[in-house]
Formats: sequence, C-alpha cells, structure tokens
Amino acid sequence: MTRKRFVTLTLIPAIGLLATLALVSIAGAIWFSVMNRTLRSADYEFVGLHNFLRLLRDRRFFNALENSIIWEAITVIGTLTLAVLLAVLIFETVKKPLWRNLICFAFLVPVLLPRVAAAFIWRFLYSPSLGVINYLCGLVGIGPVEFLANPSLALISVAVVDIWQWGLFFTVILLKLLETLPREPIEAAKLDSARTWEIHAYVTLPMLKGPLISLTLVKAVESLRSFDLIFVMTGGGPGTATETLDLYAYQMGINMGGRISYASAMSVLLLIVTTMAFVIIWKAGKKWTN
Amino acid sequence: MANITCKNIVKSYGAHPVIEGLNLEISDREFVVFLGPSGCGKSTMLRMIAGLEEVSAGHIAIGGTDVTDLPPGERGVAMVFQSYALYPHMTVADNITFGLRRQGNSRAEIAPRLKQVADLLGLTPFLERRPKNLSGGQQQRVAMARAMIKTPKVFLFDEPLSNLDAKLREKLRTEIRKIHMQLKTTTIFVTHDQLEAMTIADRIVLMRDGQIEQMGTPDEIFERPRSRFVADFIGTPAMNFVRAEIRAGDELCASGGGLTLTLSPHSFPDLVAGQKVELGLRPARMELCGQNSHNAIHGTVVLVENMGAEGQVITNVAGAEVSFVTKDFRSLSPGDPVTFSIAPDHIHVFDPETGRSLRKD
Ligand SMILES: Nc1ncnc2c1ncn2[C@@H]1O[C@H](COP(=O)(O)OP(=O)(O)OP(=O)(O)O)[C@@H](O)[C@H]1O
Ligand SMILES: [Mg+2]
Repeated sequence: MTRKRFVTLTLIPAIGLLATLALVSIAGAIWFSVMNRTLRSADYEFVGLHNFLRLLRDRRFFNALENSIIWEAITVIGTLTLAVLLAVLIFETVKKPLWRNLICFAFLVPVLLPRVAAAFIWRFLYSPSLGVINYLCGLVGIGPVEFLANPSLALISVAVVDIWQWGLFFTVILLKLLETLPREPIEAAKLDSARTWEIHAYVTLPMLKGPLISLTLVKAVESLRSFDLIFVMTGGGPGTATETLDLYAYQMGINMGGRISYASAMSVLLLIVTTMAFVIIWKAGKKWTN
Repeated sequence: MANITCKNIVKSYGAHPVIEGLNLEISDREFVVFLGPSGCGKSTMLRMIAGLEEVSAGHIAIGGTDVTDLPPGERGVAMVFQSYALYPHMTVADNITFGLRRQGNSRAEIAPRLKQVADLLGLTPFLERRPKNLSGGQQQRVAMARAMIKTPKVFLFDEPLSNLDAKLREKLRTEIRKIHMQLKTTTIFVTHDQLEAMTIADRIVLMRDGQIEQMGTPDEIFERPRSRFVADFIGTPAMNFVRAEIRAGDELCASGGGLTLTLSPHSFPDLVAGQKVELGLRPARMELCGQNSHNAIHGTVVLVENMGAEGQVITNVAGAEVSFVTKDFRSLSPGDPVTFSIAPDHIHVFDPETGRSLRKD
C-alpha cells in the first residue's frame, strides 16, 4: 500500500463521520428554515423564504447581530492584546525559569475552569453588594457599579471574563513561543540600539506573525461559542443588551415560543455570514504572511 | 581612536568561573584573533565586550571610555554572528539599515550609505530579497554589511565563517582582511580554526580554560610557542613530541625515543645534563637527508599522506610515530627505511611537568 493510499484510507472514516454529522444538521436546519414549524403544534407547511424575509425586518435580530459583532471584536482584540502585552512583559522581567513556570501554571487555571464555574465566580466578583470589585471601587470612592445590570457595561463586563480566561491562556502560549525564538536576532537588534519595545515590535513579534494569525483565527472561532458564558452571567439581559445571535436563536427556538423554523433560519444565516467572513479573513491572512 | 582595554575580567555562571582575571590591551586599528579550543571562553569574552553578557568583575574600556555598564547599543560596537542572525522577515536593505533607522536617521540620509556598503560587498542585486532566499555566503555578507554601515568603533566577529564551505570561507576571509585594510577599524575575530587565525591576524590571543595562554603575532606564536599546549594547538600537521634526556658532553644534546639531537646552547642555556625534557619537532621543519647528516633521525615509513604539493610522511622511530613533511614523498612507500633531519634552531624543548617552553631567547 502506498503512503498516500494509507493516509486516505485511515482518514476516510473520521472525516466521513464528521462530514455526515455536519451535513445532516445543516441539511436539517435548512429544511426547518423553509417551514413554519413550532414546538407547540405538529402541523407545518412549506413557507419558502418567509422566515428569512421576516428576519430582515426583525429589529431584535439586528440588535443580536450587532452584539455578536461587538462581542467578537472585543474578545478577539482584547485576548490578543492582553496576551501580547503580558507575554512580552513576563519575557522581559521574569528571567528565572521557576517563576516563569509558576506564572504559566497560574495563568492556565482560568481556561481549565468549566465555563459555567467561571461565569458564577465572576457573577460574585461583579455583585454590587457582595463583590470584591465593587468593594475595591468603593475604596477609591466609585460605585457601587452595576456591572451586569447596566446595559452599557454588561457586554463588556462579560467580555472581560472571556478575555481573562483566554488572554491568560494565550499569554502562556506566546511566552513559550517567544522562548523558542533564536537568541541572535534579538541580540543583533540590541547591538543595533533598538529599545526593548522596538525589539519586540520590529523583531520578535514579526517573527511570530504566523502563530499570531493562527491564534487570532482560533480565538475568532472560539468567540462564536459564547453562549454558555453569556447565558449564565446575564441571560442576554438587561433587556437585550447582551443578547448575541446564538442566545436569540435559543430564546426563539427553545425558550419562548418554540419557533424552531424561525430559529433555524437564523442559524442558517449565521452559518453563511460566518463562513464568508472567515474565508475572507483566511485569504487576507495568507496574503499578509507571504 | 578605539583601543580596547580589558582589566581583570572575571565571568562566572553560578559558582563556576569561565573567565578568570583576564587582562588584555588591544590598540587602535589592530586585527586581533581570539583562538582556542571549544569551550575556552572566546565567545564569552567577545559577548562581554559587546555588552551582551555582563562581567562578574573587572572593567572594559573602548576608546578610553569605560563601557562596563553601558548597554550594547551605546558601546559603538558591531557584531557578526556565526548564525548570521539576520531579521528573517525584513528585506536585505531593511536588515542592513535597521540600526541606523533605530538611531533616528531618515531613509534619505541612509540611502547613499546603503548603496556604498552594498556595492562594497556585492549585495546590490539582492537588496529587495528576504534572507531565506540567499545562500549562506550572501547571508553572511548581509550580516557584515549590517555591521559596517554603522561605522562602529569596533568590529566583533564570532566565528563568522564556520557555517560556510572551505572555498567560500577562504574567499570571505580574504575579503574581511581587505576591508580591514581599507577601513582600519579595530577588530576582534573569534575562531577555533588555527589556520584561519594565522592567515588573518595582526595578533593572536590564544586562550585556554578562560585564561590567555599566549599573545603575539602569528609568527611569534608559531616559532616561539611559550608552552607545549600552544605548540600542539598551532600548525598542521601537528607537532611531534618526544620524551628525552639531556646528555653530558661538549655539545648540548638530548636523546630519547630512538633519536639523538643537538640543541642550540644559545637558545637553551639553562639545560643541565640528566634533565628530563620533552622535544617538539615540527613536521614542516624536517626534511629528508643523507645517512650521516647532522641531527639525522632514522625510521621506517608507516604511511604517506598526499597533500598535493607536499606529502606528510608518518614514520616509526623506535616504536613511536614521528611525522615530517616533504616535497619528495612520491619516492617513498610504506616499509621503506628513511632518514630525515631537523635544524637545531627549530627544535622546541618543553618542561615535561609544567609544559612551559625552556627556550630563553
Ligand atoms: N549561559 C551559560 N551558562 C552556563 N555556562 C555557560 C553559559 N554560556 C557559556 N557557558 C560555559 O562557558 C564556557 C565558555 O563558553 P564559550 O561559549 O565562551 O566557549 P567558546 O570558546 O566560544 O567555544 P566554541 O569554540 O565552542 O564556541 C563553556 O564551558 C560553556 O559551557
Ligand atoms: Mg563560541
């Protein structure tokens, strides 16, 4: 058996299974989206693009879409920025391997927490009456701040939790990547009288461009799955201030009304938009690395 | 003016000292080579002068200024690394000009200087390429251009040619030497290749275990090695060493290991009869001779190594191997009896205990 045939044969079962699962659910969603099914009654009929047309007139849908985009932008940019800054800071200031490893270990803990547990911890921290954060705010004379009940703060407050989990995790990854870089170009830059921040801005981080793009993509995909965190922390509230698309789809399809077809149309639209967005980002990223 | 002064330099990693109280004075415009076996502290010394490594104790001054506590960028030194150390994501032009741009020069100011060094090193056709699309020799030239464009007070080279093939190494070696003759910048060049050191250096600093074993011009190091270690390290084929004893008689002479050689009493006035010594005989200083010549050594040919113009003949002299170099090696074959000799002036005598040379002139 040639190597190529072996690779193909061993890959077929897993890929086949994955493809079937993905295709069946997508096909199911499309099938539902052109009907008018609800959980309440067993009858349904074909309605064509009716659900999609209604979506385009649904202001709550556009609110959710906006929240999703904001969520995506804040968490991706926040996570990467925090990771880059912290990794460089630790790389430059903590030189002892023991301390570095301890910090890395500590930074890995948040992402190992179950999402729901993290959400509950931060709900306590944010609590206006019991929370540590408001206690600290009180010490400097602000507050109490309604982090999760204030519509203009709620989405950011939840995003902070996501950035806390993933930013610290990415910090560890970036720190390890920085450690694998050859020492000589950094030393050459020092001899070229580059300041510390210049060394990182012009030498080390550009050398890590490939991994940084991959991390960004990973985080962008991960940020799409924000349901559990937002659901536990705010449930989409106050009002619809933190309601992202997946939360809205859940509210429509399962929680209230059980309008499965409408929710399915929403998921199909979401699928199309994200696929297109990622193809564009992927292409742009590839062009940029070359 | 950019002389370099190193005073009582100590460097230790943890409790383990790598450099122990090293003193060195390099004058302006000098081309100095640090030579020594692997792990003797050559790179460490160079990196301390560059400021990439802190000294544990001692002082370094460049051009009269104490730079011991200055960061690398402010010492006025430029360094070329063995691994080239180019910035992989920048074009050749950006690589070369990075340092000048960091010092706040505009691209317009830099352009003529870039053109000048690129022309000098033959890099003009490659300026827009990335380092990964260049050969090793071209990459090393970029690294040299990056060092030269800064017009530093001191050039530091850490085994810049080790990753190149023999032919290119020779070519770049000549180029470095020519550039030095043109720019006259004080240069320290690290290598563990003694031939490279001999050909390129004004002065060789031969190091051993973090200390200077001997300092001097290539000729001094070759002809007047101060210890057995230096004599053994310098010169190919390597020196023959024979244990012997000083004989009483009218002539100063030593015998042992199946040979008896007269020595120059002028060079070794302190030798006394019965003294145990170690003789050092350079293969290149010996030549075939007639049966009854002065200082003749009789042996049997074991092996003949063809080196092109010359051949190294390895012989068996009373059970020990002694080799010499001759142009007439083609008439010899293994098993032949052979007689060769060495002039008394070229015989080295070392103390077998300390390894110090016993020569007094
Ligand atoms: N960071 C370090 N930590 C501990 N020991 C080190 C460190 N760097 C170098 N050494 C030790 O210092 C000694 C001198 O090293 P150095 O690199 O200067 O040798 P070298 O003469 O340049 O050898 P080579 O010809 O192999 O490059 C070696 O014994 C090495 O093990
Ligand atoms: Mg070295």
